[in-house]
Amino acid sequence: MLINALWMAAIVYACELTILSIGFTLTYLTAKIPNFAHGTYAGLGIFTSWIMDRVFNTSPYYGFPIAFVVGGLFSVMVYVLVVNTLTKMGGGAIVMTIGTLAIQIFLQAFLWIFSYWLRSITGLYTTGFLLKRTDFVLFDTPGIFYVALGTSIVSILVLHWMLTKTKTGIAMRATSEDTQLSAVLGINVNQIQTFAWFLTGGLAGLSGAMVPMWFASSAATAGGMQTSIMAGSLLGGFTNMYGAIIGGFSIGLLEILLTFQLQQTIGTWVGEYRPLVPMIVLVIVLIVEPNGLQGVYSRIMASETGDKILKALGRGD
Amino acid sequence: MMNVIGNLAWAVQGNARLIVDIAMFFGLLVIVAMAINFQYGNAGIPNMGCAVQVIAGGITVSAVTTRVTFWVVQTAGVELLPYATDFDWVYNNQVNISVLTNGYLKNNATLCIALLLFSLALCIVFGAVIGWIIAVPAIRLRATYLMVTLITMADASQIICRNTPWIGGGTLGMFVPNVFAFYPGDRTVIMAALTLFIGLVSFFIFKTMLNSPYGRLMRSIRENEVTVGSVGKNVVAIRGNILMFSSGITATAGCLLAFYYSFFVDANYQRAYWTYWPWLMLMMGGPGNNAGTFLGTVLVTALRRIIIVYKWVFDRMLFFPISYFERLLLGTLLIVVMIVRPNGLIPEKLLYIPGINYRQLVREQVPVDWRSAPKASKASGGGIMGRLRNKKES
Repeated sequence: MLINALWMAAIVYACELTILSIGFTLTYLTAKIPNFAHGTYAGLGIFTSWIMDRVFNTSPYYGFPIAFVVGGLFSVMVYVLVVNTLTKMGGGAIVMTIGTLAIQIFLQAFLWIFSYWLRSITGLYTTGFLLKRTDFVLFDTPGIFYVALGTSIVSILVLHWMLTKTKTGIAMRATSEDTQLSAVLGINVNQIQTFAWFLTGGLAGLSGAMVPMWFASSAATAGGMQTSIMAGSLLGGFTNMYGAIIGGFSIGLLEILLTFQLQQTIGTWVGEYRPLVPMIVLVIVLIVEPNGLQGVYSRIMASETGDKILKALGRGD
Repeated sequence: MMNVIGNLAWAVQGNARLIVDIAMFFGLLVIVAMAINFQYGNAGIPNMGCAVQVIAGGITVSAVTTRVTFWVVQTAGVELLPYATDFDWVYNNQVNISVLTNGYLKNNATLCIALLLFSLALCIVFGAVIGWIIAVPAIRLRATYLMVTLITMADASQIICRNTPWIGGGTLGMFVPNVFAFYPGDRTVIMAALTLFIGLVSFFIFKTMLNSPYGRLMRSIRENEVTVGSVGKNVVAIRGNILMFSSGITATAGCLLAFYYSFFVDANYQRAYWTYWPWLMLMMGGPGNNAGTFLGTVLVTALRRIIIVYKWVFDRMLFFPISYFERLLLGTLLIVVMIVRPNGLIPEKLLYIPGINYRQLVREQVPVDWRSAPKASKASGGGIMGRLRNKKES
């Protein structure tokens, strides 16, 4: 094996969390609300993988594009039916956030019902499954390791390219900065928002499709990742996509490695408290620096150290 | 007399049983919903973590009242099985409570009532302390950050409670002393009556609070906190106080629930149950308005308890457990209510301050002395252009 199993699990989990955190941050940037249903979108990806593996008997990897589209379409539906409607009715941030909570409850229940329905028609176990059997092996390491790492790197690069080089990406950034001003400049705000929601939902679906390849999954798995996603996004600064990459990846690594380390030193009972790790990080970030890594970055850049760094990089005035 | 009531109450079965159940849960949820209304509807604090305070109330009973009762009962000479270690605490719990402690409490009405009052008082204090603790990292933040933190805390409280047996019996749960052991009839009837009474008392407390100068200050914070801050009020401290006060009241619901079941388990205190359902009730009835909260709570509680009680009928018809359908209903209702009736079934009314004659206030004519009033130029009208013209003329 290229890498030991613990680090592999940590890296795969961190990659999935990174993609989810980026999506969560993008939604916050475009709609200005924390989307509590974002983690649950990943459940759609989980079941796409299940269907590919158990019903069609093929590798779940073929289902990744489908998971992307399914997640994206659901997200667009949420935007059109709920978020956009509530915005038109003049609902504030709190009302819309409660709206996303309602969607989370709805989708979670829908996923459970869907899993019971799948069980009733296929006769296969749908609550708690692993889809390792069709995964390929390269250098003694399961394929999901390469796929997770590759997918997250590629999606980050594509997103970076899209947001900085393409017209749609720049329009998206403009819309997130000032919706009214970008509408005045001729950007079709509604179209851009719909696209942004499709993208974030699609990323969540893609990330969810990877989960059952290495972690035991059920309809509740995706919703359970919500706190980690929020912690990752908050650590990155909540409004910065690049911060979310670092935040999501570190929370993912920390959650698995720290829990394991504590289990080694204190006792196995610590494992039960694993979900508390992102929560503790979240509270510490809020107390120490509510703007997360972005806040730290801007503080450093505003100080003399920032000037020195810029000079060393040859970009100083 | 006691026997008559007892015999009557013993006959609680069938639909009467359902009504008692609805009354009990109406009482509990109306306390929580009113507390949320107090925070969100009147002060603009979106407390999405009230499950923390409810579970705090439950923990007061399971961790403190039970130990105090054991101590009292042991002092009185009853031999209890060992309960010092985590294992004994859970394993011997049923014998210790159901047989030994409740057997002693049966003949000690005074002790029972003292224990009940002690628990209620303690849970209010404990709830307020929890409110203060969760306010520390979160209260200064923007509304959305606050929501994220509070939801997280609600989850954390349940995880801690589930995995710490000496607090709440762990995943198995634990029995708690029956404080109505002396009552010969059905305990649930008297519990429901007590809960409704406490709900009524908290209604009057909230009503009085809202109509006090402090309540008007709260509403002004909801409308515009920057303005309130600029006139010298400490907005953060006031919001912290509100969170603490309503946390105390919310905790009583958890305490009463533990006594109602005579059992404590973390699964009874799920975040969805004690946060999202009360929020639905509040949104449905109309925030900023206690009558609306009552209406919303009655409708939703009745609907839910009927689904739960007739679960076996539905489960036979469906291929999935009905509890998931219930959540589907919760999500859909919440969205539909927010879209169709954003102000709820009963919209917020203007605050009525006793002692002020509003009619006279409207009719009152303020005498203005025309000599002291600034003279307006007839030709030039108002606005910037008018003023410019005035300048030219002069």
